[in-house]
Amino acid sequence: MLRPKYIPLVMRQAMRRPTRTLLTVTGVALAMFLFSSVQALQEGVRVATGAVAGETTLIVYRQNRFCPAASNLPEDYRARIERIPGVVSVTPMKVVPTNCRTSLDVVTFRGMVAEEVAPRATWDLRTGSVRDWVARKDAALISGGLARRRGLRVGDQFDAGGVRTYVAGVFESDQPQEQNAVYTHLDFLQRSTGRKLLGVVTQFSVKVADPARLDEVASRIDDEFRDDRQPTQTSSERGFIARAAADIIHLIGFMRLLGWGCLAAVLALVSNAIVLNVRDRIRDHAIMQTLGFSGSLVARVVIAEGILLGLLGGALGGGTALAIVRLGSLGLTNEGLYIPLAATPTMLLIGLIIAAGAGVLASLVPAWQAARREIPTCFRAV
Amino acid sequence: MKLLPWEYGIRNLARSPSRLALTVAGASLVVLLVLVAGGFIRGLAGSLRSAGEAGNVMLIGAGSEESVERSEIQPAVATIVLGSVAGIRQTLDVPHVSPEIHVQLGVERSPGAGALPASLRGYTPAAMLVHPRVRLVEGSLPRAGHNEAMVGVLAAARMGLAANDLRVGRTFYLDGRDCRVTGIFEAAGTVMESEIWMPLNDLLVLARRDTISTVIVALDSATFDDLDLLAKQRLDLELVAMREQDYYAGLSSFYRPIQAVAVITAGLIALCGLCGGLNALYAAFVTRVRELASLQTLGFSRRAIVLSLVQESTLATCAGGLLACMAGAWLLDGLAVRFSLGAFGLKIDSAVLALGLLSGLLLGVVGALPPAWRCLRTPIATALKTS
Repeated sequence: MLRPKYIPLVMRQAMRRPTRTLLTVTGVALAMFLFSSVQALQEGVRVATGAVAGETTLIVYRQNRFCPAASNLPEDYRARIERIPGVVSVTPMKVVPTNCRTSLDVVTFRGMVAEEVAPRATWDLRTGSVRDWVARKDAALISGGLARRRGLRVGDQFDAGGVRTYVAGVFESDQPQEQNAVYTHLDFLQRSTGRKLLGVVTQFSVKVADPARLDEVASRIDDEFRDDRQPTQTSSERGFIARAAADIIHLIGFMRLLGWGCLAAVLALVSNAIVLNVRDRIRDHAIMQTLGFSGSLVARVVIAEGILLGLLGGALGGGTALAIVRLGSLGLTNEGLYIPLAATPTMLLIGLIIAAGAGVLASLVPAWQAARREIPTCFRAV
Repeated sequence: MKLLPWEYGIRNLARSPSRLALTVAGASLVVLLVLVAGGFIRGLAGSLRSAGEAGNVMLIGAGSEESVERSEIQPAVATIVLGSVAGIRQTLDVPHVSPEIHVQLGVERSPGAGALPASLRGYTPAAMLVHPRVRLVEGSLPRAGHNEAMVGVLAAARMGLAANDLRVGRTFYLDGRDCRVTGIFEAAGTVMESEIWMPLNDLLVLARRDTISTVIVALDSATFDDLDLLAKQRLDLELVAMREQDYYAGLSSFYRPIQAVAVITAGLIALCGLCGGLNALYAAFVTRVRELASLQTLGFSRRAIVLSLVQESTLATCAGGLLACMAGAWLLDGLAVRFSLGAFGLKIDSAVLALGLLSGLLLGVVGALPPAWRCLRTPIATALKTS
């Protein structure tokens, strides 16, 4: 450990070459910005797909289908699902994304029966009214993120993927799948897309009374339709997202390599800066040792400088990533499912610890060299 | 202007082999990342842009202009087109009109192994006429009614499987039904290479659909307007006519935000590398302030010294760039990337290689100028007294 009274010395050492310090901190900040962005993507996947205790929602989808356009279930399955013991409620839903592919700007239409949209507790309707939505067949309730991105307000006409709707309300929600959603009347969406057939939905959302019976109820639902024309595949809501968003998860797995590369860059940048600083300060270290600084103290001052550079860059890069992710409402959509980037202050803290750790690691060898150098050798080296 | 000898810069490079190795390795890494980003963008855009044939028109369901997978139209559209539009291209009296179904289904390697997302296309023999770049490279065409399929060279990569898992003679499972691979096809690097093709009726049965996705028509004397007029007159069919190239250009622009993210990422990594390089060069040049002042006293102008310093750093970064380009062309070119309803190969072509070499050159020039300028700004008398 380094006593606090040496901190001003460490700061002065770092500021003696402001250009080089600035370059190192900028480089570390850039690398930590990328690292934190990759972490935010991974956190988003974890939040959207990770199992949670007490989950009570099941998604019934067409077996062996991934794209909403290919999952066509008869609406009359609802009555048969409702009869299965343990099921509390069943909500049919038609899902129509403007594109099944992965991108940053996809609109997902969700058609629901009017009575089942109104009581959704996850919404905070900011403008407009549900009454207006119920009154007009082509009305839509749209998410705040989408409204901001497309510059939409209540009363506007909104056209995407061949579906033209009237904006009756704008809502905010903390649920990932509602970030890009446009809620319309089920029959309106059924008539507007595909074969324009009533009575066909993409999925059923099933509420189960007891979380412990989630798997049992899922098996019973699939058994019920095993020999039907449209067999089903039922999974927990998060399990369903994990299966359907496999392409994004694969992409994020690839991005993890980039994250490791960024850490290597941080290590290289801090290491480079410290090695150069130590080489420049051979005489300074000799003077410090003459004044009574022990070799170990000199090493700790060098390591503290590495930590300082790592922390400054980490705070700048991680903080910028956190701000952009939080203010930008960014995320990826695949097969109509939205995976938002999730950045938390804890993630920033972890980033800072990693950056500081990289600073320690990068300065260990030069610190060891500085500590072991004999005073006469140092003066001769200059 | 009297220039410093070329050998002077080269000899200086060898003064610190460890520093030279670090500079070359750093530049290689940065250029390699630029190549990955460039290859990703070129590969993705190329697989989509070149997928459409000039002179081909797609008839798809109204409202599905962004995604043919969403389109559902009547199978009769193909015969309606034949009966309504004259001037469609023909070969040996076979019209170039291809009804197709494009669908995403779960494919299992073995029963119960877990479905993997795959892109399937149901086709008739006419598909080979409207997609002339599709070329069977191994095996034979699948026979209708025999549960057979041919797979694109990147189909296995799209599903996250090894190429061996979908070779000729292998079996995969669709909704519990076994399906044998009879052939492998190439499609000149287009998005079709990540698809599995089956006879149209077989796939309609497997997908349990009675509608197709699109009818692709190759024009001869007929024009796009003829098909557009048909789509607008037959409101009952709810069709839209689109040039095939326009459809894929639309898809390409759909991916523009992802491409922008790749460019920004590569840019940030390059900047990160530049910061490291600048730092190292600042340190390297600062130790030579006295030497640079001596050169000025010998009559060399500041511009000549800057040129020599730029030559040194450029040689090192260009060597790194060359190494990265060789590694890129050898290791990255054609590397299959699974991405969003398909797969494509990274494309390290001449344009991407030129970009990589240019990045190496810029790293050398931009990285050397500020530290060189800083060292030469010091008055000669002061610089000569520097320890």
